[in-house]
Amino acid sequence: MSKAELAQIAAAAGLPRLGDKHLDQLQMAVTSARELAQKLPKDLHWSEELSLTFRLPRPTSPAPHSEANSEGHAKTKGTP
Amino acid sequence: MSDLAFLSIAAAAQRLRTGELSPVAYTEALLDRIQRLDARFNAFIRSTPDLALAAARQAERDIAAGNWRGPLHGIPFGLKDIIDWSGLPTTAHSKLLVDNIARDDAVVSARLKAAGAIMMGKLSTHEFAIGGPSFDLPWPPAINPWGGRHFPGGSSSGSGVALAAGMLPAALGTDTGGSVRNPASLCAIVGMKPTYGLVSRRGVFPLANSLDHVGPMTRTVRDNALLLQVLAGYDGEDPGSAEVAIPDYAAGLEAGVKGLRIGLVRHFYAQDCDADPEQIAALDQAAEVLRSLGARVHEVRLAPLEQYATATRIIIRCEAFAIHRSWLATRPEDYGDLARQRILDGAAMSAADYIDALRLRARLTRQTLAAFADINVGLTASNMDPTCPIDDAEACARLYPRQARQPFNITGQPALAMPAGFTRDGLPLSLQLIGHPFQEAMVYRVAEAYERATAWTERHPPGL
Repeated sequence: MSKAELAQIAAAAGLPRLGDKHLDQLQMAVTSARELAQKLPKDLHWSEELSLTFRLPRPTSPAPHSEANSEGHAKTKGTP
Repeated sequence: MSDLAFLSIAAAAQRLRTGELSPVAYTEALLDRIQRLDARFNAFIRSTPDLALAAARQAERDIAAGNWRGPLHGIPFGLKDIIDWSGLPTTAHSKLLVDNIARDDAVVSARLKAAGAIMMGKLSTHEFAIGGPSFDLPWPPAINPWGGRHFPGGSSSGSGVALAAGMLPAALGTDTGGSVRNPASLCAIVGMKPTYGLVSRRGVFPLANSLDHVGPMTRTVRDNALLLQVLAGYDGEDPGSAEVAIPDYAAGLEAGVKGLRIGLVRHFYAQDCDADPEQIAALDQAAEVLRSLGARVHEVRLAPLEQYATATRIIIRCEAFAIHRSWLATRPEDYGDLARQRILDGAAMSAADYIDALRLRARLTRQTLAAFADINVGLTASNMDPTCPIDDAEACARLYPRQARQPFNITGQPALAMPAGFTRDGLPLSLQLIGHPFQEAMVYRVAEAYERATAWTERHPPGL
């Protein structure tokens, strides 16, 4: 894959500042992603449910206010 | 000193409660040991002696006044440096976060503080819990006290090393694809990845939210149960948190394994992945030990290991890339090479692959739980090999994927790694015990029986 093609993939992924060394890493990522995707079973069907963690709280039972909750949300300042 | 260095939490708690051991003296002894040893092992990114001594003095006053809070009161511990402690930097072992001061405690930190435990410092990790061992970061990688200059596993490397070297009796790690159990396996300590949702992850820097767990790391099984007792509990602000009753994890530890059904997942290490012969022998021997204690051990067949690995790798890549994309867009040069490569891997995956990996995850979970229906606990490998020299990048890279921990990040089941012997060269071998969701107590029960029968956890690195 040429550097120009890799730069295009990087731009599409929202990564405009990747240098030459980083583009080499992206090349490895592309190769590895293709290999990995090939390993997915071929019989996965749309009717099979996904594993998801998102769920709405039950409307009739509000979440209990634990001692830990009262410590407040511990957000990491630098999280992008 | 070695008496205090390798004291268990359970034994220390008894002595602290009765006043036979002072929290201040205990803390000072371990701080002194950290001061003497850590230049060799790099377990700590930052030790916090002032914080520790202030907490120890407070614990001493409280216990003397009759306000003993429980088995963790006065017990020193460390945090993997992706876990927030208010007022301290959470660096994730990365240049990107060197000045990132946490505004609040993570929920697990708050729980340890409330239990009266003594915060000793922030521990080394692989960069963002994914890139390591690396030598191009602001801090060096942790070194295994077992062997000359060996890889301690990761990404909770500092946690494993600090425990094995007798610098701490308790530490927290995190486990997305095996990062509590890998250092537990390579450092001959005990590491539990609890059921997904049992321990809050709020205030912990994520690697891949849908697979992330926080777990206790200790030198003995009983200590692990005591530490989990403090950490476990519902948190309505962690979307993965589960609202379940928390049992007494230490209550049934001595019940033994007579009549229990143990499922040996032998194909993981003898067929799907060709494990080191000494590791295979240790696992087969562990099955025999459990049989000799009265358990009924029979082989169980799960999906091939590679299917779990495929789902895990795709999910981690995609979720980690989403978390890091804005930094990769603006500061790609500030990552170490390994973390950048592993996170960039997600840039090349498609959304459809991610969705299919989630579908595969659901299928594997259904199949695995069905296979567990007739057993109490599963037994298999954690690592396929003993550790390797940390300066040998190729050997470390080979070691990393040769493991059987990812299946239980995929299914969310509790999984514990512990020592299962040593190689002829004196390097740790390990096993993994897996339970039904939220049945950590049963895993501990089997682990305790095995630990008593073998005493592997009583060994410490030579010269320490």
